[in-house]
Amino acid sequence: MPQPVTYRGMALIVPDNDSEWKEYFAHARQHRLMLRACKACGLMRYPPTHACPWCMDLGWTWKEVSGRGTIYSYEVVHHAIQPGFKDATPYGVVLVELDEQRGQPTADEGLRIIGNLVKPDGVSFEDDTQVAIGKRVRVVFQDLAEHMALVQFALSDEAPPGHVWRLPE
Amino acid sequence: MATKTLRDKYCIVGVGETEYSRGSGRTTRAMAVEAVRKAILDAGLRASDVDGMLDYQGGDSTFAPHVAPDLGIRLNFYMDVVGGGSSTEALVGLAMGAIETGMCNTVAIYRSMNGYSEFRIGGTGARAAQPVRGMDLAQVPFGMRSAGQTFAFTFMRHMHEYGTTSEQVAHVKVAHSKHASQNPKAVQKERVTVQDVVGSRWIVKPLHLLDCCLETDNATCLIVTSAERARDLRARPIYVMGVAGRVSKPRVDFHWAHGPISRVAGYYAKDIVFGQAGIRPEDVHVTGSYDAFTFTTMLQLEEYGFCKKGEGGAYVSSGIIELGGKRPNNTSGGHLCEGYTHGMSMVIENVRQLRGTVDDTCPGAAEGKHTHDYSVGKCRQVKDAEITMNLGWAMPATGSALIMRR
Repeated sequence: MPQPVTYRGMALIVPDNDSEWKEYFAHARQHRLMLRACKACGLMRYPPTHACPWCMDLGWTWKEVSGRGTIYSYEVVHHAIQPGFKDATPYGVVLVELDEQRGQPTADEGLRIIGNLVKPDGVSFEDDTQVAIGKRVRVVFQDLAEHMALVQFALSDEAPPGHVWRLPE
Repeated sequence: MATKTLRDKYCIVGVGETEYSRGSGRTTRAMAVEAVRKAILDAGLRASDVDGMLDYQGGDSTFAPHVAPDLGIRLNFYMDVVGGGSSTEALVGLAMGAIETGMCNTVAIYRSMNGYSEFRIGGTGARAAQPVRGMDLAQVPFGMRSAGQTFAFTFMRHMHEYGTTSEQVAHVKVAHSKHASQNPKAVQKERVTVQDVVGSRWIVKPLHLLDCCLETDNATCLIVTSAERARDLRARPIYVMGVAGRVSKPRVDFHWAHGPISRVAGYYAKDIVFGQAGIRPEDVHVTGSYDAFTFTTMLQLEEYGFCKKGEGGAYVSSGIIELGGKRPNNTSGGHLCEGYTHGMSMVIENVRQLRGTVDDTCPGAAEGKHTHDYSVGKCRQVKDAEITMNLGWAMPATGSALIMRR
């Protein structure tokens, strides 16, 4: 696999022996959001790790999810410390809770993934005033190289299931 | 199951620190040597009395095998630990364990960092652009790297769930700035208002500039030994009643992955530390809740039970945490105002509170004579402080705690 992939001035390094991430990013490049599901108990997990945090089993398979979810929390970065993000401020970072496996195996659990809130093109950052807890989002893929895409999220046209909240101005 | 405890069997007998600066002009080795020496002298010990050493760092400091021999200390035990905030309390517990097993008798614990002039938190410039690999790929490519950026989800969700406001947590900075105005060592001595905090520029919403702690160059040291040994020493022994070290949420690396993210590690730590000490939150006179940000102080105070979950905003804005209030927090000014040391300064301050010898400008401070006049530039000694509690914060997922008494 060619190394490294450069994105916003960062060298993203996913070597052939990266047994957590390599296939995850390759699936993303095929525009599929695939998570690891435990062969024993069936529960999915993120990030892609080598044991089930619920039953400790080592067996897993990749399972595709819809990429639809709700913003669980967010932040807006005004003072970037990474040089490649300085021209992007203010930008929103979102914690998305996916529709699959919400409230399992306990009421407080869910599959949560970090991304930027981006426009439907998957590349440019959405206006930071659009970021809010409770808004519905869908996955979009930002192609970076032949073998790698970032998983990002864009606002969906679905009605929010509950209260939408953002930090008062 | 009954909690195992070593309550009152170990003491902190010496404290020492260098000045806080934004440019020490010297090595972390030189600063560590100064802080350890001061703590040994404060305890009334000699170099030959110290035979254990612990330190913590993140690739930004000098290891014990260099610091000890520089002072003529021959070690029977040492360990250099990777860590930042929440290390101090954990290492007090490890020092007690090392002495309890007979590996050594007296342990110096230090933190030395050029946190302003050499290694800034989160990294800047070339360090902020270093290659991203492994589990960092879950966060860093999205412009989420600094401590504030990593913790902000927790604060934002807390505001959403409980109605906590920026104005409420600004009171933490207000209180700590009041305390710092009575601390000759503090880097930032000016008292600020709620309006100053919420009017300062955004760093990462919901954090303003003045919600964030300082960055400074400094070294700090504590000396731990047995209660029997402590009785013969110069300073009044300060007894460890309970300690919890690096208690964590289900995922240490990704606090946001499991459970309610507005919950922090104190949720798990409180039963351990209060169980050992045999006391309740209302028995504590002074707290040292880690203030990497205004929010971290608030989140921990509520999680450890100083108020109900979700009521931290009301608690920190009620006046309780200010000098003159019922239970002052970070009476030195803490990391928001005094200087940044990854937590040890807050334990040092509480040791001095319990001794009654806080280093304010009261003429008789060294002899424990204080005016308790909390106006600018005056006293910061809490009257009759008998029990203190430090709440160390590494991140939402990990924390440590230490209860001490005089």
